[in-house]
Amino acid sequence: MISALASRHDLAAGLIVTQIAAPAATLLGLGLPALVGRAPSEQATTRAVAAGFGLAFVAALVSLAVGAARGFPVEVVHLGTLFSVGHHTATIELVADGLSIPYVCFSTGLCSLVNAFAGRYLHREPGFTRFFILLALFGFGMNLLVLAGSIDVLFAGWECVGISSTLLIGFFHERRTAVAAALRAFITYRICDMGLLAAGVVIHHAVGSGDFGRVFAGAWPAATCLVPAATAVPAALLLVFAALGKSAQVPFSGWLPRAMEGPTPSSAIFYGALSIHAGAYLLLRCGPLLDAAPAAGWLLVAIGLGTAIHAAVVGSVQTDLKGMLAYASMTQAGLILAEIGLGWRVVPLVHVISHAILRSLQILRSPSALHDRHELSAALGGPPGQGESPLVRLLPAGLQATLYRIALDRGFEDAWVGRFLVAPVVASLEAAAEFERRLVARLGGSQDVANEWHRDRGAA
Amino acid sequence: MSDEMADPNAPCDPNSLRGLVAAAARLLPAQGPISSFVALNPLHGFEDRPFEQAVEEAARLMHAQPYLEESVYREALARGRIQPADIDAILADDLGPRAAEPLAGGRVRLVDVQRVLLTKGLKHESDTAVRWTLTEGDATERLRPDLDPACRARLVAAGNGPDGGQITEHRAASDLWHACVEATAGGRAAVVHRLPPARPRELIVAVRPDLDPDALTHPPLIRLVSAYLDQGVADWVMANRERGLLAAVAEVASKFGPEDRWARGLRARFTEIAARCRTAADRRDPGDVAFQVIAEELDALAIAARDRAEVVASSLLALRGWAGMVWQFEQRPDLAPCVRLPARLADFLAVRLVFDRAAAAFTADRLVGAAAEDEAEPVRLAALWAELRDRFPATRGPGTVSRAFLLHQLAQLLGLSAVDVRSLTTHEIVALERSIYAFDSFTRRRLLHLAYERRFNTTILDALAALPPEPRPASTPRRQAQVVFCIDDRCESLRRHLEETDSQIETFGAAGFFAVPMNYRGLDDWHATPLCPIVVRPGHTVIEEPEADHLSHHRARQRSRRLRGRIRERLFAGSRTLFIGGLVTSVGGAIAAVPLVSRVVCPRLTSLLAARVCGWGRRRIRTRLELLRTTAAALPDGTLPGFTTAEMAAIVRRLLEDIGLTTSFAPLVVLLGHGSTSLNNPHESAYDCGACGGGRGGPNARAFALMANDPAVRSLLAADGLAIPGDTVFVGGMQDTCSSGISWFDTDRLPVTHRDEFESLVRACVAARALDAQERCRRFDSVPRGITPADALRAVEARAADLAQVRPEYGHATTAVCIVGRRRRTRNLFLDRRAFLMSYDPDADPDDAILSRTLAAVGPVCSGISLAYTLSRIDPLVYGAGTKLPHNITGLIGVMDGHASDLRTGLPLQGVEIHEPVRLLLVVETTPDRLWRAVTPLPGVERLIRNGWVTVACWPPQGPVPEVYDCRLARFMPHAIESSLLPQVARSADWYAGVRGNLPPALIRPGHAPQEEAS
Repeated sequence: MISALASRHDLAAGLIVTQIAAPAATLLGLGLPALVGRAPSEQATTRAVAAGFGLAFVAALVSLAVGAARGFPVEVVHLGTLFSVGHHTATIELVADGLSIPYVCFSTGLCSLVNAFAGRYLHREPGFTRFFILLALFGFGMNLLVLAGSIDVLFAGWECVGISSTLLIGFFHERRTAVAAALRAFITYRICDMGLLAAGVVIHHAVGSGDFGRVFAGAWPAATCLVPAATAVPAALLLVFAALGKSAQVPFSGWLPRAMEGPTPSSAIFYGALSIHAGAYLLLRCGPLLDAAPAAGWLLVAIGLGTAIHAAVVGSVQTDLKGMLAYASMTQAGLILAEIGLGWRVVPLVHVISHAILRSLQILRSPSALHDRHELSAALGGPPGQGESPLVRLLPAGLQATLYRIALDRGFEDAWVGRFLVAPVVASLEAAAEFERRLVARLGGSQDVANEWHRDRGAA
Repeated sequence: MSDEMADPNAPCDPNSLRGLVAAAARLLPAQGPISSFVALNPLHGFEDRPFEQAVEEAARLMHAQPYLEESVYREALARGRIQPADIDAILADDLGPRAAEPLAGGRVRLVDVQRVLLTKGLKHESDTAVRWTLTEGDATERLRPDLDPACRARLVAAGNGPDGGQITEHRAASDLWHACVEATAGGRAAVVHRLPPARPRELIVAVRPDLDPDALTHPPLIRLVSAYLDQGVADWVMANRERGLLAAVAEVASKFGPEDRWARGLRARFTEIAARCRTAADRRDPGDVAFQVIAEELDALAIAARDRAEVVASSLLALRGWAGMVWQFEQRPDLAPCVRLPARLADFLAVRLVFDRAAAAFTADRLVGAAAEDEAEPVRLAALWAELRDRFPATRGPGTVSRAFLLHQLAQLLGLSAVDVRSLTTHEIVALERSIYAFDSFTRRRLLHLAYERRFNTTILDALAALPPEPRPASTPRRQAQVVFCIDDRCESLRRHLEETDSQIETFGAAGFFAVPMNYRGLDDWHATPLCPIVVRPGHTVIEEPEADHLSHHRARQRSRRLRGRIRERLFAGSRTLFIGGLVTSVGGAIAAVPLVSRVVCPRLTSLLAARVCGWGRRRIRTRLELLRTTAAALPDGTLPGFTTAEMAAIVRRLLEDIGLTTSFAPLVVLLGHGSTSLNNPHESAYDCGACGGGRGGPNARAFALMANDPAVRSLLAADGLAIPGDTVFVGGMQDTCSSGISWFDTDRLPVTHRDEFESLVRACVAARALDAQERCRRFDSVPRGITPADALRAVEARAADLAQVRPEYGHATTAVCIVGRRRRTRNLFLDRRAFLMSYDPDADPDDAILSRTLAAVGPVCSGISLAYTLSRIDPLVYGAGTKLPHNITGLIGVMDGHASDLRTGLPLQGVEIHEPVRLLLVVETTPDRLWRAVTPLPGVERLIRNGWVTVACWPPQGPVPEVYDCRLARFMPHAIESSLLPQVARSADWYAGVRGNLPPALIRPGHAPQEEAS
């Protein structure tokens, strides 16, 4: 009896580890040869990624079937301990439960689809291998994030998602705007990631471990929080802060429309589907903390609704397809966070998955807009109507015009974040670079070096 | 002109600006909204000067490439695409008597120096790089690996110095290096002072690349202009658009809103402009405000009078896509896809300059500090521009080490040993060095390009000259069928395969609107679109109506379509809103998963299924075209409904005369229009028929067939001497160049007597289209080489339906030739889908009137397509639209790269990557005298020919050897035949099997055993 149980546990654990290991193997298999300048052929590349994601997807489906049959018991897979000091431990653990198993099915399934799409879409593109390495990194990071059994593992996945997102926004790095947009997303991520890091520290401090098994008690979605109330509030607030960046919430939303610089399939999976909902997933996972800290929950509702309204208004004046879809994603991401803040758990999960599928289809299809529009006009017997939303029409005319202007300039937060947050960081980095240049010139004892550096920059 | 004379500090006169703006507009891309994309010469504004001069001027003005990179041409040289004979011929032409100029004390001639500079090339490196090479590499201790063996032997032998040392390469190379260092020690690096740019932004960026005012102004400018021009993406539309761009933008920008630091003064300025626009609107002179604002801003920017033209032009070129689109809306408001807007280029420039001044002033503060703020702005800016002009960096010529390095390389290539170099006088050394610098990059690339084109032209003209004499027309019996195709290069393969499949079929080429210029509204369309060349504005409208007994069925289908359309619209719009969006997105995902998975995993099946479902009702409705005009009243848009019988007769006569089909009609005459259907392709319209203005030529073919079958039309024609036999029937059809599908119109009206002939034709078409698909597939890297015709057909069908496919077809990517003449002469020639084929019979055109009207259409259209592809290939970033992958449809009028870029005009990289950039070779079956007679009334075409935008060859009706027009000598010269051997194969498929790249012409000899190329 006990051995049967143990073997069943081993089987489940094996399945879960496969979901992480398969994309990781792909990543190494593609990345290491590329590092020494031996990029595999296009076909081999897509096949490797398809195999990695496919294997993970099948394992996830089996886990889902098994889990669904047994009512999603919490399976914890202990992979090792990073360090242990006294009663402080940092472990590497994965967890499979009613949240992570459906989510990982959906995310690996979507990754597989986008891989199939991108294999044809990026044919003959000079950055072909780079794209798929980043896609593999993203898939690995996403699965790590979803299956994480501790806040430390989650953070690792979170960072993989962030770095692959940044590098794909800047995929066309010969273009200035693409790099600027990537930098903006990167800075926003970095700032908000501090929230996750700090929340991890606070949680470690409170319970002596980052394992969700010791932070929360019970199975998702009915788990309760073991963190004392006094610590729960700051921890929850920090987690909310962390989620704002990835999920492009006010006031950190400006990077999202700018992120539509990469190839279409990466825009679809990151900003229509998975990356944008990583914040929602984090908060769903740490839901009990929010329950224990109602203030954070209400703040989340306020920010989510604020973002949704902001994005709906700004989105309605966008004239480019991808920008419009970016704001549409932001609207729903705001609503989803508000739902989480209200203490709901299953509704936002369904909302996330459903929204992600619909939106990624819309973004993948966005280059067909002219074709679709032509068909639609033909069917309707005229072009589809335009006009401000009924809510806007309730405003007096003067206010409408002002609101239009504000919407066209993407609201205030965009300008303010750029001015008070991004610009100082960039300026300090530039100052550091300038300092280094002077130092090198001083040490090298030559003014020429400095001048040449300036000239090179000019040439570039 | 008076401006030049006037005081440079006098205030700018608004009226003097009109000419400047109009002149600058000619430099902008002529591309209209992307839904009716027509390939045009990106440098249409430069057609008044020779091609070679134009591309170099444009390259300097727009920071573009004039030709491909040198390395690409050298690679072509290595694989034999350019031959040494081409280089020699081009150099001989270019240098003339200077070729024999002695250099290096008579050891070499100028032509030898230029030849090695072209074929081998020198590494041009900065002093620092050369120093690095000297310490880290062995470039000065080894001879170049690409030397001729004779040259190498000579150098090595010379390295055996008088001291009897070892004969080594190392010795020869380093000895030569020292000789070169000594030889160049005396000189000094040349300093070239360039004229500083007049536009403040260019000046600032040249001195401080990290401060770019355009980086500040472009994002808001792009948002405002695209919101103004939007044709239906945004739900909430900009107000006051009907009052013009300046007024609408000023109204928006004068409202309270977030402001960046640089933009602080903008709101006040736009408030004032908005007020002026309102008063001007009362006085009904909206035009003046824009020019006043431009004049004020130019003065406030402290632009001197002589610089105004340059500032206006370069300010517009800085966002040339958007500026060009505004200009297109101004010029052709009728081409706006949905909403006609009174956009004007002057308004755009006014807005742009208001933004530019704010950004320039802000940047100036950062450049000089806020110390000078007490001065008036124009004075402060003028002082700043003066300072920046002083600091404008000069270009330095190569320094001492790098000159030695260049000389070292050149000496090796010329076979000059250390002894030779040491024996040269200073004067000779300087002359040798000057021959390197005078032969600059643009010149080298121009000559390499000419050699590249020369090889291509020679191959084609040799093939034409080597064709066997045409069979006597009298000996051919009556054909079973005659098929009229569009002249499009993509139709060449289908035509050829059809002729190969059934030798009883004769084909013709005509402009694909078949002389029927019309506005057309199909059964499913909501408005009429013009189906004729873009320069023609049709005066007639033709409507497709359901037959009376199908009317109720049609109405029911219409209702259900409308309902489905409304649901789709609601769902898509709803998914983006707040409240409905929440609902739609939380339940819609389950439904969206089905198309998401099926479209990605099995695109072909999905689209077949979708077409089956959507087309089910459509196919059961029989329709007819309302061709005959029954009323004199014009439609609301000013066009007339249908044509009179006399007009139809004129159309039929015109086309039949054009293609030389006035006698010996076959029982079946088929007209095949073409179009292209693909998904996920904003440039879909670029693949449609250019002669139909980026529309599909099927309805024109159908209309023509109906006209030609009309007994009333026939009797009118017969009375006028054009007798169409009673047993000849015309049928219209349409070819999809993407999925290789062919569909037919009105076949139910075919007489019973012609059914067998029609069926046999359809069978031939079915066989030919699979072969056509196979021939197309050989170009696609992702399709295996040995694919069978049937598999190829499936492959192209899948491409047309695939959301992820960025190369549904290659469009005109292979185009290079246009042959105007009798198909009989080229019938068995394999032209590799590279030729526009226009049927023309010189014998039936005694006064050259037909040739004249043919060239009026063919010249600009074909050269436009060819130049659009060629220039997009040469510089995909400036003339082309760049890679498709980040394209983002904006306002339904164009695409941007990512979220806020200039509108990308031209063709995408994926469409031109396999294109060979050569100017169109226009071969006309006529004599030079007759050609000039035909061209005289066409100044535009004559300009294209004289300035070398196309290469024209006359192919005399009697006699095989073409004569080629030489722009330099301004006359026709007989083509010098290099090879009179033409490879022969039994079938096209034998010639192209397993090959990806371009193929030379071959003669198709049915029944001929496959044979290797004899040479």
